[in-house]
Amino acid sequence: MAGNISVAEDGRKQFIVVKIGSEQYGIDISYVDNIVRMQKITRVPKAQAYFKGIINLRGEIVPVMSIRTKMDLEPDVFTDVTRIIILKLEEHGVLGLIVDEVKEVVTLGPDEIDKVAYDAKNNKSNFINGVGKHGEELISLFDTNSIIDETESV
Amino acid sequence: MDVSQYLEIFIDETNGHLQNLSDCIMSLEKDPENMDTINEIFRAAHSLKGMAGTMGFKRMQRLTHDMENVFQEVRSGNMNVTSGLVDVLFQCLDAIDAYLENVKESSDEGTDDNEAIIQELNDILAAGTGNAPQPAEKPAEKEEKPKEDPSGGRFQKKYHDMDLSEKEKEELRESEEKGMNLYGMTVYIQEDCLLKAARAFLVFKAVEEFGNIIVYNPSSQDIEDEKFGFDFSFYVASETELDRIIEVSKAVSEIEEVVGEKVVYKELTAAAAKKEEEEAAREAEKARQEETAVVPQAQAAPQAKPPQAQANKKQNGGKPVTNRTVRVDIEKLDALMNQVSELIIAKNSLVSIGSTSDGGMGSNSQAFHEQIEYLERITTGLHESVMKVRMVPIESVVQKFPRMIRDLSKKLDKKMELYMTGEDTELDRTVVDQIGDPLQHLLRNSADHGLENAETRKKRGKPETGSIHLNAFQEGNNVIIEVSDDGNGIDTENVKNKAIERGLITPEQGAALSQKEIIDFLFMPSFSMAKQISDVSGRGVGLDVVKSNIEALGGDVEVKSVLGEGSKFTVRLPLTLAIIQALMVEVRNEKYAISLGSIETIEEIMADEIKFVQAKEVIHIRGMVIPLIRLDQLLDCEPEDEEKESLTVIIVRKGDKFAGLIVDELNGQQEIVIKSLGKYINNSTKIISGATVLGDGEVALILDVNTLF
Repeated sequence: MAGNISVAEDGRKQFIVVKIGSEQYGIDISYVDNIVRMQKITRVPKAQAYFKGIINLRGEIVPVMSIRTKMDLEPDVFTDVTRIIILKLEEHGVLGLIVDEVKEVVTLGPDEIDKVAYDAKNNKSNFINGVGKHGEELISLFDTNSIIDETESV
Repeated sequence: MDVSQYLEIFIDETNGHLQNLSDCIMSLEKDPENMDTINEIFRAAHSLKGMAGTMGFKRMQRLTHDMENVFQEVRSGNMNVTSGLVDVLFQCLDAIDAYLENVKESSDEGTDDNEAIIQELNDILAAGTGNAPQPAEKPAEKEEKPKEDPSGGRFQKKYHDMDLSEKEKEELRESEEKGMNLYGMTVYIQEDCLLKAARAFLVFKAVEEFGNIIVYNPSSQDIEDEKFGFDFSFYVASETELDRIIEVSKAVSEIEEVVGEKVVYKELTAAAAKKEEEEAAREAEKARQEETAVVPQAQAAPQAKPPQAQANKKQNGGKPVTNRTVRVDIEKLDALMNQVSELIIAKNSLVSIGSTSDGGMGSNSQAFHEQIEYLERITTGLHESVMKVRMVPIESVVQKFPRMIRDLSKKLDKKMELYMTGEDTELDRTVVDQIGDPLQHLLRNSADHGLENAETRKKRGKPETGSIHLNAFQEGNNVIIEVSDDGNGIDTENVKNKAIERGLITPEQGAALSQKEIIDFLFMPSFSMAKQISDVSGRGVGLDVVKSNIEALGGDVEVKSVLGEGSKFTVRLPLTLAIIQALMVEVRNEKYAISLGSIETIEEIMADEIKFVQAKEVIHIRGMVIPLIRLDQLLDCEPEDEEKESLTVIIVRKGDKFAGLIVDELNGQQEIVIKSLGKYINNSTKIISGATVLGDGEVALILDVNTLF
């Protein structure tokens, strides 16, 4: 999974920093297609619990996932700063992730990223493949593919 | 030489000829004396040979050449059509088909010489004619042009046979009056020439240096399209000597021979007149023959008639009608379809603006509404046109079935006959491409497991030859394809016992099951894997695949069967996949769309009209007991505080089953564009078949009521 963030010689990568609960998470910017404001989500009956439903993104139907439900956090509270991050994944199509707030874009070099040991007891870390250090702050880096992989296997 | 640009045409045309041959041989088997059919086969084999030769596929050419030889003998009455011959001919077709497959994959015909088949053909030829196989020095060529002068040797002055229109005659006459010499010329191209049209063009170019070519035979258009044999004729008006013109023509490579002479206009027209008389006499003779031939043919092979009729037309009409079609990549059509979808969504949003902003617009509102209605008409029309472009007749799929049934009949040693109707029924291209396998499966099922053997049939007082029917027709927004047989039918007792044996149901449950419910077991995936104890249980083999294939296309399949009398599989397919008319409903403020095609009626009922049968809610309407489904419960909505007194029930139908869906609100009918939910969302229950974007940008889910039964 660590292979996901290994890049060219230069090795610097950009991440979009979002807030979920009290933690900060980073999403590899190369997967991000768009960031949209919260909008009406149409519930899909019988779908997995962490799928909030679907939205209309300029005529396209996009499924929206609650990353909080997926990580067993308390349910989403929608505010003015709640955003849906639209991820575009090769072959898999698009997918929306609900985040509490979008903060900034940071560039991290390989020396600023620590790998995390896989902890089977902690479900959350399944989606994290590194921790970035940006100044004083720590940013957990999402492993975008593992979010999808697990979804598909359901 | 590079012939790759012609490959696609070659594959297409070869397919056409193969199908034609297959049809003709089928009908020949039933009516071995029919000269028209024999001629048609001969022609098709000849064209195949020519095309294969042109493309440099020597093995294919050789095989078709030998087929042609056999038919040459049949045609001239030296040989009779036997069932052995028909078998070998079908083998030939399969072999050609295999060549074609190779060509498709690798642009090469492969290395299989099919010696065995060729040997068999030649053996039959030898046995049939009572002498050794002929070296076949172009008997075909001679027979094909019966008009030619028998004493003239190989290279005929075919320009004598040309038909001249009044205008052409006029031109010839004028040229002669101007003091020019008229020459008639026939050019023979070498038979292994690959680019006949190009050679012909070079000849014309050379000749036109010296004079004007006035009449072409075949027409210049046909020559350009390579629609000619290995020779062509023309009249040229020139001031130069004939020898010089012949010389330059021969200078073009791959030209075998050029013959020509000076002609005089008067003689020309006299000859033409005489020829016309002969022609008329021959036509009359042919018409008489056809009249007598058509009657037995019509009785024997109703399904073979369309291609037959076409063949006759071609024969009589001379030149084929100019092709008025355009080939379009299906992807381009998909793109067009998507754009039409977008347009419809845009129109829907205008409609919704129109209905909400009524008050403020004042006098403009009237005009606005009129324009919206106009736009609505246009988009609906546009949608229909695009859909029609995507529609193709199912013929391309079903035409291979007669042959398949024939083979099965031999293999299973049962006499059976396939009757098909409605081959011209049209379906969306994507559906047609995928419907072949399921249908083939159903037909095999009927042939193998449905029909009894001749003995049993006799005992039961049925005609010895079993019949299988394949009927296709349109019904509303659906296309129905029925596959029925007059065989044994499904032994439901056996099926039930099997289900009990496999632990799917208890004997008590089994006793309560209806015939229909029992038959449904046959479509269960695990059921088909049952070890076949009786041949009836064999009916389950692969039926689950049929069902899932058809359901993947948005259709469904059902069975009716009477033990001892036969069974009927009914396949129902949607006409279109992308845009449907739907009824919009609301359940707890959530919007859902239900395809109009499956809605029977809409009823208002009082809450106290609901009755209970086996602890399930039903209503009793117009003599029917219909189970009720509360959509709010089915779709896991928040329960409502209090029961309403009056309920809106949508009666939906699947085949002859009904169900009533209770909804909160009706929002009218709308044309909706079906969009997929994507593969992330787990949709194993399949209740939601997709989503659509409404005019106001909101998303509504599409309910697939077929899954509710």
